[in-house]
Formats: sequence, structure tokens, C-alpha cells
Amino acid sequence: MFKKLIEESTAKSPWLFHINSGSCNGCDIELVAILTPRYDVERLGFKLAGSPRQADIVVVTGPITKQSLPRVLRSISQVPEPRCIVTMGSCPQSGNVFKGSYSVAGPLSKYVHVDVDIAGCAPKPEAIIDGLALATQILKEKRGQM
Amino acid sequence: MDFPFVREAVVKLFSKPSTQLYPAVPSEAAPGYRGKIVFHPETCINCGMCERVCAGGAISTTVEKTEEGDKITRTFDLGSCTFCNTCADFCSRHSIELTRDYHMIGVEEGDLLVSGTFIKAPPKRPAPKPAPTPKPVEEKKADTPAPAPEN
Repeated sequence: MFKKLIEESTAKSPWLFHINSGSCNGCDIELVAILTPRYDVERLGFKLAGSPRQADIVVVTGPITKQSLPRVLRSISQVPEPRCIVTMGSCPQSGNVFKGSYSVAGPLSKYVHVDVDIAGCAPKPEAIIDGLALATQILKEKRGQM
Repeated sequence: MDFPFVREAVVKLFSKPSTQLYPAVPSEAAPGYRGKIVFHPETCINCGMCERVCAGGAISTTVEKTEEGDKITRTFDLGSCTFCNTCADFCSRHSIELTRDYHMIGVEEGDLLVSGTFIKAPPKRPAPKPAPTPKPVEEKKADTPAPAPEN
């Protein structure tokens, strides 16, 4: 009974965890912008969590530098299943202009399964809201399968 | 006593919140926003300038030989693009356009690819000119009539 209650309540309010893996801060600022009163994403239930253990959706920004790779993977592995991994901006998808650098460990999809890609450099806050809404749906499907 | 912000506080108390109700109310990007790339393959001449100036290496070209000519496919990977507009600036035929569409979300592979195919054929050779007919050699003897030129 408790499990069902928890599942119903978490379905409408997914918590975000933001990982910066060497980002230029452009995407980070846009992610903060959706939490401001202008876009106010908390009215849709999203909330920025302080710890990966409390999160449902992981938002990764930055081109995954070699220094940050073990930390990113460690943080993602701490997020409980079912989880949804969202890459934000062009960097974690391909490396963008940092592609081929000696200190970039490549796209995130080489290491973990990525559910949603939000393109843009940096993406518009509306596009981020769209992507997170899609991530919520995917999360709901995953929860149904479990 | 001076209360500098009382008037503003009262006005804001009765004004609408400044929150944009985005998913319910659609919002449009500002003019000049550089979003999703649209490629017009019918005007492209395959000069390769866009691929050369692209900082993120987002543009790739594949060439396939066919009987009609070279079948050229140009692909723009939006997941690798910086949206700097340099490719569109350098395109002499204005084949690349960055629109104001910002809804770029990929779930499966290939969702963020924009591509166009066109066939580049070498210009047709002009029709061969008819060979000049040899002039009949005038004979010195005026008595005998000149033979009719054979084609």
C-alpha cells in the first residue's frame, strides 16, 4: 500500500539532479533560469534535489572531461532505479566544439544509456521544459515496467 | 518618515504574476533566434564551404555515384551544432537557414539529424557541330562541270 502511495506521489513530482561535467556554464544558467519565477518549473512538479539519492531525473551538462568522468558515473550510479538520464546541450551528446580534445572523454552515451537529448547551445528554457516533460513520461513507463 | 517602495509594493500586489505559463501558452522565440537548421538541397552546389567552416564538425557529406551523376547527401547533426550561423553566412547560395524553431528533442538515434539529398550532374556536352563540308575543288578546266559534292 505504501509503495503504491509513494509511486503515485513521485510520478507527478520528479526531482532533478544536475551534474556539471566541465560545462561552460551556459547550460547551467539556462537550467537555473527554468527555476526562476519567470518560468517557475516547480508549478509542474520539478524540483532541484541536493543529492543524487533523492533524484529521479539526472540532467548532465558539459562535454564529460576526463577528470569528471568517474565522478559523473559515480553520481549516476547513486540515483535509484527507475531513473531517467537527460543530456542538455550539444556537449554531452557529441563533444561539440571540444570534440577531439585530449581531456574530453567523449559522449555520455558511450558509458550509460541516455533517455532524452535536448539539443541547443544552450537550449532555450522552453525546450528544456519540453525535454523534462518527455523524461517524466519515460519515467512513468519505466515505473510501470518495474 | 519616507516609505520609498510602498506604492510599488501595492501595485505589484494586485498585478498578474510574471510567470510564463509555457506548456499551456505557446511561446515564440525572439526574431533572429538561431534554432533548428533547414537545408534546401535544390539550391546547393556542393562547394563544401559549410563543412569547412563548421567549428563543431556537425556537417557531413556522403557522395554516391549513380548513372545520373553524383548523389550527394548532406547531413547536419543538431546534437553537435553550436548554432553559430557561420555555415549559413558562408553559403553563397543561401541553402542553409537557421529557423526560429527551438523544439529540438531527441529520444532515438537520428532524431536530431537534418539531411538533404540532391544529384549533381556534370553539365551536358553541347551537341557536336556538323562536320564542315569539304569545298569542291575548282578544276582549271572550265569545260567539264564540277562534280556534285558528296555528303
